[in-house]
Amino acid sequence: MRTANISLQEIFNEIPDEKREETRLSFAISNRLAFLMQERGLNKKQFAEALGKRPNEITRWLSGEHNFTISTLAMLSTFFGKSIINV
Amino acid sequence: MSEVELLLVNSGESCTMYTIQFLSDEQSEFEKFVAKFRQDAELNPDFQAIMRFVEQILSNGALERYFRREGKMNDSVVALPVLKSKLRLYCLRLTDKILILGNGDVKRSRTYEEDNTLQGYVMDLQKFERLLKQEVRAGNVEITEKEILTDKTFDV
Repeated sequence: MRTANISLQEIFNEIPDEKREETRLSFAISNRLAFLMQERGLNKKQFAEALGKRPNEITRWLSGEHNFTISTLAMLSTFFGKSIINV
Repeated sequence: MSEVELLLVNSGESCTMYTIQFLSDEQSEFEKFVAKFRQDAELNPDFQAIMRFVEQILSNGALERYFRREGKMNDSVVALPVLKSKLRLYCLRLTDKILILGNGDVKRSRTYEEDNTLQGYVMDLQKFERLLKQEVRAGNVEITEKEILTDKTFDV
Protein backbone atom coordinates (compact mmCIF):
# COMPACT_ATOMS: atom_id res chain seq x y z
CA MET A 1 0.00 0.00 0.00
CA ARG A 2 1.26 3.49 -0.86
CA THR A 3 1.61 6.19 1.78
CA ALA A 4 -0.30 9.48 1.43
CA ASN A 5 1.84 12.48 0.58
CA ILE A 6 1.11 14.30 3.83
CA SER A 7 2.80 14.55 7.24
CA LEU A 8 0.42 14.75 10.19
CA GLN A 9 3.33 15.59 12.46
CA GLU A 10 4.16 18.72 10.42
CA ILE A 11 0.54 19.86 10.75
CA PHE A 12 0.51 19.13 14.51
CA ASN A 13 3.74 21.12 14.90
CA GLU A 14 2.03 24.22 13.45
CA ILE A 15 -0.48 24.20 16.35
CA PRO A 16 0.47 26.21 19.47
CA ASP A 17 1.74 23.88 22.22
CA GLU A 18 -0.73 25.20 24.80
CA LYS A 19 -3.69 24.38 22.51
CA ARG A 20 -2.36 20.82 21.96
CA GLU A 21 -1.92 20.43 25.71
CA GLU A 22 -5.46 21.74 26.31
CA THR A 23 -6.84 19.04 24.00
CA ARG A 24 -4.65 16.35 25.56
CA LEU A 25 -6.07 17.26 28.99
CA SER A 26 -9.67 17.30 27.68
CA PHE A 27 -9.23 13.81 26.22
CA ALA A 28 -7.59 12.57 29.43
CA ILE A 29 -10.50 13.89 31.53
CA SER A 30 -13.07 12.37 29.17
CA ASN A 31 -11.26 9.03 29.36
CA ARG A 32 -11.21 9.19 33.17
CA LEU A 33 -14.93 9.99 33.19
CA ALA A 34 -15.72 7.10 30.82
CA PHE A 35 -13.71 4.77 33.08
CA LEU A 36 -15.55 5.91 36.23
CA MET A 37 -18.95 5.56 34.51
CA GLN A 38 -18.06 2.02 33.43
CA GLU A 39 -16.78 1.17 36.89
CA ARG A 40 -20.11 2.38 38.37
CA GLY A 41 -22.08 0.53 35.64
CA LEU A 42 -23.69 3.71 34.32
CA ASN A 43 -24.60 4.32 30.70
CA LYS A 44 -24.92 7.85 29.33
CA LYS A 45 -28.67 8.10 30.01
CA GLN A 46 -28.41 6.76 33.57
CA PHE A 47 -25.48 9.06 34.32
CA ALA A 48 -27.37 12.08 32.95
CA GLU A 49 -30.42 11.22 35.08
CA ALA A 50 -28.32 10.73 38.20
CA LEU A 51 -26.81 14.20 37.75
CA GLY A 52 -29.98 15.94 36.54
CA LYS A 53 -28.33 16.71 33.20
CA ARG A 54 -29.38 16.14 29.60
CA PRO A 55 -27.72 13.20 27.76
CA ASN A 56 -26.23 15.57 25.16
CA GLU A 57 -24.27 17.26 27.95
CA ILE A 58 -22.70 13.88 28.81
CA THR A 59 -21.96 13.38 25.07
CA ARG A 60 -20.04 16.67 25.14
CA TRP A 61 -18.09 15.67 28.27
CA LEU A 62 -17.12 12.32 26.74
CA SER A 63 -16.14 13.76 23.34
CA GLY A 64 -12.69 14.90 24.43
CA GLU A 65 -13.53 18.41 23.22
CA HIS A 66 -15.18 19.87 26.32
CA ASN A 67 -13.52 22.65 28.32
CA PHE A 68 -14.34 21.53 31.89
CA THR A 69 -14.74 24.17 34.58
CA ILE A 70 -13.40 23.62 38.09
CA SER A 71 -16.98 23.56 39.36
CA THR A 72 -17.93 20.71 36.96
CA LEU A 73 -14.79 18.78 37.92
CA ALA A 74 -15.60 19.26 41.62
CA MET A 75 -19.19 18.08 41.07
CA LEU A 76 -18.01 14.96 39.16
CA SER A 77 -15.33 14.19 41.72
CA THR A 78 -17.92 14.44 44.51
CA PHE A 79 -20.42 12.25 42.61
CA PHE A 80 -17.91 9.44 42.08
CA GLY A 81 -16.10 9.91 45.39
CA LYS A 82 -12.87 9.77 43.41
CA SER A 83 -10.59 12.37 41.89
CA ILE A 84 -11.02 13.28 38.24
CA ILE A 85 -7.65 15.03 38.03
CA ASN A 86 -4.66 14.99 40.37
CA VAL A 87 -3.04 18.31 41.26
CA MET B 1 -17.09 5.07 -12.72
CA SER B 2 -13.82 6.15 -10.97
CA GLU B 3 -10.99 4.15 -9.55
CA VAL B 4 -10.06 4.77 -5.91
CA GLU B 5 -6.93 3.75 -4.01
CA LEU B 6 -6.56 3.38 -0.24
CA LEU B 7 -3.47 5.17 1.15
CA LEU B 8 -1.81 4.96 4.56
CA VAL B 9 -1.63 8.30 6.44
CA ASN B 10 -0.23 7.31 9.82
CA SER B 11 0.20 4.16 11.84
CA GLY B 12 0.29 4.34 15.65
CA GLU B 13 -0.17 1.83 18.45
CA SER B 14 -3.77 2.89 19.12
CA CYS B 15 -4.95 3.85 15.64
CA THR B 16 -4.06 3.41 11.98
CA MET B 17 -5.25 6.23 9.74
CA TYR B 18 -5.89 5.96 6.02
CA THR B 19 -7.34 8.15 3.30
CA ILE B 20 -8.68 7.49 -0.19
CA GLN B 21 -7.51 8.94 -3.50
CA PHE B 22 -9.36 8.97 -6.81
CA LEU B 23 -6.78 7.94 -9.41
CA SER B 24 -7.91 10.84 -11.61
CA ASP B 25 -6.94 13.32 -8.83
CA GLU B 26 -3.50 14.54 -7.81
CA GLN B 27 -4.37 14.65 -4.11
CA SER B 28 -6.04 12.28 -1.70
CA GLU B 29 -9.36 13.35 -0.11
CA PHE B 30 -7.71 14.23 3.21
CA GLU B 31 -4.92 16.20 1.47
CA LYS B 32 -7.62 18.25 -0.29
CA PHE B 33 -9.19 19.06 3.10
CA VAL B 34 -5.83 20.11 4.54
CA ALA B 35 -4.94 22.18 1.45
CA LYS B 36 -8.23 24.11 1.70
CA PHE B 37 -7.93 25.23 5.31
CA ARG B 38 -4.29 25.03 6.45
CA GLN B 39 -3.56 28.63 5.32
CA ASP B 40 -7.08 30.06 5.64
CA ALA B 41 -6.85 32.91 8.16
CA GLU B 42 -10.54 32.81 9.08
CA LEU B 43 -11.02 29.04 9.28
CA ASN B 44 -7.56 28.00 10.49
CA PRO B 45 -8.62 27.95 14.19
CA ASP B 46 -11.42 25.48 13.36
CA PHE B 47 -9.04 23.46 11.16
CA GLN B 48 -6.42 23.35 13.91
CA ALA B 49 -9.05 22.25 16.44
CA ILE B 50 -9.94 19.29 14.21
CA MET B 51 -6.25 18.44 13.82
CA ARG B 52 -5.79 18.55 17.62
CA PHE B 53 -8.55 15.95 17.89
CA VAL B 54 -6.90 13.86 15.15
CA GLU B 55 -3.65 13.97 17.15
CA GLN B 56 -5.40 12.71 20.29
CA ILE B 57 -7.29 10.02 18.35
CA LEU B 58 -3.94 8.71 17.12
CA SER B 59 -2.89 8.33 20.77
CA ASN B 60 -6.20 7.19 22.28
CA GLY B 61 -7.84 5.24 19.46
CA ALA B 62 -10.82 6.03 17.22
CA LEU B 63 -13.36 5.54 20.01
CA GLU B 64 -17.00 6.12 19.08
CA ARG B 65 -17.54 8.87 21.63
CA TYR B 66 -14.85 11.09 20.02
CA PHE B 67 -16.98 11.44 16.85
CA ARG B 68 -20.23 12.90 15.64
CA ARG B 69 -22.41 10.19 14.11
CA GLU B 70 -23.25 11.03 10.47
CA GLY B 71 -24.35 9.05 7.43
CA LYS B 72 -26.96 6.32 7.81
CA MET B 73 -27.57 3.64 10.43
CA ASN B 74 -25.93 0.94 8.28
CA ASP B 75 -22.67 2.74 7.50
CA SER B 76 -19.59 3.84 9.44
CA VAL B 77 -19.50 7.52 8.43
CA VAL B 78 -18.62 9.86 11.28
CA ALA B 79 -17.49 13.48 11.49
CA LEU B 80 -15.21 15.71 13.51
CA PRO B 81 -15.69 17.70 15.60
CA VAL B 82 -18.50 16.72 18.01
CA LEU B 83 -18.91 20.26 19.32
CA LYS B 84 -19.88 23.40 17.39
CA SER B 85 -17.51 24.33 14.56
CA LYS B 86 -17.55 26.08 11.20
CA LEU B 87 -15.92 22.98 9.62
CA ARG B 88 -16.67 19.28 9.29
CA LEU B 89 -14.19 16.52 8.44
CA TYR B 90 -15.89 13.28 7.35
CA CYS B 91 -14.32 9.89 8.12
CA LEU B 92 -15.06 6.19 8.13
CA ARG B 93 -14.62 4.67 11.61
CA LEU B 94 -14.22 0.99 10.81
CA THR B 95 -13.00 -0.15 14.25
CA ASP B 96 -11.68 1.49 17.44
CA LYS B 97 -8.25 1.36 15.75
CA ILE B 98 -8.97 1.98 12.05
CA LEU B 99 -10.00 5.38 10.71
CA ILE B 100 -10.26 6.47 7.07
CA LEU B 101 -9.96 10.27 6.78
CA GLY B 102 -12.06 11.77 4.00
CA ASN B 103 -12.71 15.32 2.85
CA GLY B 104 -14.69 18.05 4.55
CA ASP B 105 -15.74 21.65 4.22
CA VAL B 106 -17.51 24.58 5.78
CA LYS B 107 -20.77 23.58 7.45
CA ARG B 108 -23.36 25.97 5.97
CA SER B 109 -26.55 23.99 6.43
CA ARG B 110 -28.20 22.23 9.36
CA THR B 111 -27.60 18.75 7.92
CA TYR B 112 -25.05 17.47 5.38
CA GLU B 113 -27.93 16.31 3.13
CA GLU B 114 -28.90 19.94 2.52
CA ASP B 115 -25.44 20.76 1.08
CA ASN B 116 -24.40 19.11 -2.20
CA THR B 117 -20.67 19.40 -1.44
CA LEU B 118 -20.90 17.83 2.01
CA GLN B 119 -23.32 15.18 0.81
CA GLY B 120 -20.83 14.30 -1.96
CA TYR B 121 -18.05 13.71 0.59
CA VAL B 122 -20.31 11.52 2.71
CA MET B 123 -21.51 9.55 -0.32
CA ASP B 124 -17.92 8.94 -1.50
CA LEU B 125 -17.16 7.37 1.89
CA GLN B 126 -20.40 5.37 1.92
CA LYS B 127 -19.66 3.97 -1.57
CA PHE B 128 -16.08 3.15 -0.63
CA GLU B 129 -17.19 1.31 2.51
CA ARG B 130 -19.68 -0.78 0.53
CA LEU B 131 -16.93 -1.77 -1.94
CA LEU B 132 -14.45 -2.49 0.83
CA LYS B 133 -16.95 -4.81 2.53
CA GLN B 134 -17.69 -6.56 -0.77
CA GLU B 135 -13.96 -7.19 -1.28
CA VAL B 136 -13.60 -8.45 2.30
CA ARG B 137 -16.45 -10.93 1.68
CA ALA B 138 -14.79 -11.98 -1.60
CA GLY B 139 -11.53 -12.61 0.27
CA ASN B 140 -9.60 -9.93 -1.69
CA VAL B 141 -9.12 -7.58 1.29
CA GLU B 142 -8.39 -8.38 4.92
CA ILE B 143 -9.33 -6.12 7.82
CA THR B 144 -7.61 -6.94 11.11
CA GLU B 145 -8.22 -5.16 14.43
CA LYS B 146 -5.93 -2.29 13.41
CA GLU B 147 -5.05 -2.67 9.73
CA ILE B 148 -6.55 -2.92 6.28
CA LEU B 149 -4.48 -5.26 4.14
CA THR B 150 -4.87 -4.53 0.43
CA ASP B 151 -3.01 -3.25 -2.61
CA LYS B 152 -5.98 -3.21 -4.93
CA THR B 153 -7.87 -0.25 -6.39
CA PHE B 154 -11.66 0.04 -6.11
CA ASP B 155 -14.17 1.02 -8.81
CA VAL B 156 -16.50 3.54 -7.20
